[in-house]
Amino acid sequence: MFCRNWGCKVANPVDPALLAKLPRSFVPALNEQLQTWDLLFPSERRAIQWQMEWLARLPDASFRALFQPIVALEQKMELPDWKLSTERMSVRDTGILVRSPYYPQWRAEVEKVFEKIGAAREAEEGQRQRRRLIVCTMPGGAQVPSGPVWKSLEPQGHWLLLQSPFAEVLPKLFRAVAGRQRQPDVEPVERTWVLEYDEMLSLMRVDGAVTGLCFNGLGPVRREFLLRLNSIDRNLKTVDRTYDSLRHIDLDAMMKRAYQPDVREFVRNVFLSGNGALLFGNSFVQWGASEAFRRAAPQATFCRFGVRPKLKPFSSVVLFEDQHRANPVPDRPDPEGSFIDAQVLVEYVYLSAMREPEYTGRTLFLVAMPDDNCALALGSAEFLTPLTKGSVPLSTPQLTSAVTDWLAA
Amino acid sequence: MLRRTLLRLLGLGLARRFALAQTAEPASRSSPKLVLVTTGGIRRQESFSEQGVGNIPHLAGELFPQALFYPYVWNEGTTAHFNTISSILTGVWQHVDDWGKDRPANPTLFQYLQAQRKVGANETWLVTSNKALTAKIGVDANVILAKQLLIESVERIIMGHSPHHKLQRDVLLDELTTIMQDDYERIGWSIPSESSILDPELKQVFLAALADFINGPNSPTSGDELTWFVASEVLRRVSPTILVMNFSDVEVAHSGTYSLHLAGIRNNDALVWRLWNYLQTLPAYRNNVTMVVMPEFGRDPDGTSTNGFFNHRSDSSSNRMSWAMILGSGVPKPAVVSREVRQIDFAPSLGALLGVNCSQAAGRVLPELGV
Repeated sequence: MFCRNWGCKVANPVDPALLAKLPRSFVPALNEQLQTWDLLFPSERRAIQWQMEWLARLPDASFRALFQPIVALEQKMELPDWKLSTERMSVRDTGILVRSPYYPQWRAEVEKVFEKIGAAREAEEGQRQRRRLIVCTMPGGAQVPSGPVWKSLEPQGHWLLLQSPFAEVLPKLFRAVAGRQRQPDVEPVERTWVLEYDEMLSLMRVDGAVTGLCFNGLGPVRREFLLRLNSIDRNLKTVDRTYDSLRHIDLDAMMKRAYQPDVREFVRNVFLSGNGALLFGNSFVQWGASEAFRRAAPQATFCRFGVRPKLKPFSSVVLFEDQHRANPVPDRPDPEGSFIDAQVLVEYVYLSAMREPEYTGRTLFLVAMPDDNCALALGSAEFLTPLTKGSVPLSTPQLTSAVTDWLAA
Repeated sequence: MLRRTLLRLLGLGLARRFALAQTAEPASRSSPKLVLVTTGGIRRQESFSEQGVGNIPHLAGELFPQALFYPYVWNEGTTAHFNTISSILTGVWQHVDDWGKDRPANPTLFQYLQAQRKVGANETWLVTSNKALTAKIGVDANVILAKQLLIESVERIIMGHSPHHKLQRDVLLDELTTIMQDDYERIGWSIPSESSILDPELKQVFLAALADFINGPNSPTSGDELTWFVASEVLRRVSPTILVMNFSDVEVAHSGTYSLHLAGIRNNDALVWRLWNYLQTLPAYRNNVTMVVMPEFGRDPDGTSTNGFFNHRSDSSSNRMSWAMILGSGVPKPAVVSREVRQIDFAPSLGALLGVNCSQAAGRVLPELGV
C-alpha cells in the first residue's frame, strides 16, 4: 500500500479505509506517527505494520466489538473536530480530551484494546523475540541506609557476588556486551543503548553499534529548549506554537556528536514529553529508558544514574529554569537526595520494561551500587541458577561471558 | 487489603488519644470561620500508610487525635489542580479549562458566603502556591498567588529582565517590592477588596514583613513557605471568614525527584502544624475556626504508563482516593470515619458550618459535622 495523501516518504501501512473505521480519537495520534514514519524505529514500524495488518484481517464483527466501547464513549464526549487529515493532537486538544468526564473510562478502554492487540501479537510472534538485558548503576557517594535498597525488586531477585566493585566491572561488561556478535534480525539501532547522567560509557570506543545519550552531553540542547519554553506567555496558543517551533529547530548544530535522524528525533521527543528529562539527569535516564523500551526496544540497555546538585536558594522556586543562570551560589552535590531519587527510578526502569511485551519474561535485569562487590539480578532461572549456586564471587570475565552467552541464545 | 492496613494503622493507640481529646473544653461556635488547606497530589503510600506515616509526623501525631478524619475521600472529577480545587469549592465536579481560563461553572463557597451572609470580598481570601490557579478560582474573593510573586521576581532577575543581574537576597526583595507596588495584577492577583492589600498603609506593613521573610534565617527555597507567610499575614491583619490556602511544593514530583517530593510532604506537614498553632494564638480564630486539610488527589501508582508518582492522571485508587482531616470548632467529636465520601461533599458541609446553603452543590452534607 502506498498513500501519497499522507505525505509519507515510505510505504504507508495504513489503508485509508481502515483509518476511517478506527475511533475518531485514534486518528490524530496515528497520523502523527505516519507523518514521521521514516523517523520511527524499526521496532515501531514493525509493530504498526503488524497491528494494521491484523486489524485489516479481523472480521467486521470482531473489529466492531473490539472498538465498540471506545466508539460509544466518544459519542458521549465533546471531542475536538478531528478529521481524517488532522495531523496531530495539539496541547489544546489534549486538554479538551483530558477534562472530559468520560476521559478515565476512555483511557481504560484504550488500554484494553492495546492489551488485546498486544496479546494477539505475542501469540503470533512472541517466540521470535530476542532476549534482553538491562543494567542499572546507582549514583555513588551516598551513606546507604540499612535495609533493602530496592524494596520491590529485592524479593524477586538474586544477589550475584563479584570479585571486584561493580564500578570496575561495568566498563568491561559494557565493552563485551556492545561488542557481542551481530544478529541478523537485530538492526544496529536495536543493539545497545546507553542512558547516563554524565559521560562515561557513551564516550567509550567499542566494537559494535551503540546509541549513547547523556544528560550532561546534551546540555546545549536542553538549555535551548528551556530558553524557548521559559520565554513564552503561558497560554495554550503560545504553548502550542512554541512546541511546534521546538519540533522543527535544528538539533544537529547543538549536539556534540552526530546521531541518526531517528535517534535525534527520539531525543527531541523525550525533552518535549516532560517527566523532568529537561531538568534532572536521573529523570532523563529513567524517562529516556522507558521511552527507549517502548519505542526502540533495544536488546541491551545501560542506565547510569548520577549525583545531582543540591537545589539552590531562591532559584529553586523556578525549577523549570536553568539553576546556574545568574545564581552566584556555587553548586554543591546532593548524594543523599540523588540516592533516594535513583532508588525509585531504578524500580521504574524495571517496571517500564516489564510493561513492554518485548521484555516480559525474556529480560535479565542487573542493578548495583558502584562501590559494592555484588549486583542484584532479576531474570530467568536458566541464567541465574549457575551463577548463584556457590559462594565463590564471580570474576568479571565469568560475569561478562555469562551475560553475552545468554544474550546470544 | 489497603483498607485493613490503614484502619489497623489508624487504630494504633488512638483510642487513648481520643479519650484525652474528648475531655477538652468544647469550642465556641459563635461567628464561625474556616481555613481550608489543599495540597497538591500526595499518595496514601507516602502519607497515611505504614510506610508513609513518617513523612507526616504532625498530621499523624499531634493533629490526628483532635481530628475528624476521613481516610477515604474520592476525587471523581478531573484530577488536575484547577478543576479539583473548583470542585471542592463548588461542591460540583468541574470540567472547565484547566489552565484557569474559565471560572468554575457553579458558585463557590466564597460567592455563597458573600450572597447569603451579605459580607464583602474582604471576608473571603485565597492564597495559593500553584501557578495553575489563576484569579478565576476565587471569583469575587481576594486571590493572592504568593509563590507566583516569588517566581516572577526570581525569573525577572535570571532572565535578564531586571536591572539586577545576580540573584541575591537584597536584590530579590527589591524585585518582590516592585511587583507588589506596581505590577501585582500581571501575576494574576485579584484584589477586589479596598480594605485589604491595596490599602497603602497595610501594603507597607506587608512589604516590611516580606523583608523579614526574605532576610530570615531560612533561605526561601520553598514557595509554600511564602504562601504560609502571606496567609498568616492575611489571618492576622484581615481575619477573614474564609481563607483557602493551597500548597504545591509536592508537585516537584512532576520532575521525578522523589527526595524533593518527600521533602515537600514533610514541609507541608510542618506548615499545617504551624498554621494550626498560629490560629490558636489569634483571638479571632482560636475558639471558632474549623481547619480542613486535604490533598487534591493522590498520584499515579508505580509501574503505570503515566510514570507513577511523577503524574496524577490515571483512573486508579492511588490517584483518586485521598483523605481529609477536619480540626477545630466544627468537629463535634474526634473520630475516624471509615465510610467513603467525595470531595464535593465538603463545600455543602463547610457551607453549613458557616451558615450558608450551597444550593447548587451536588455533594451531600457530612453528618459527622452535626450541622
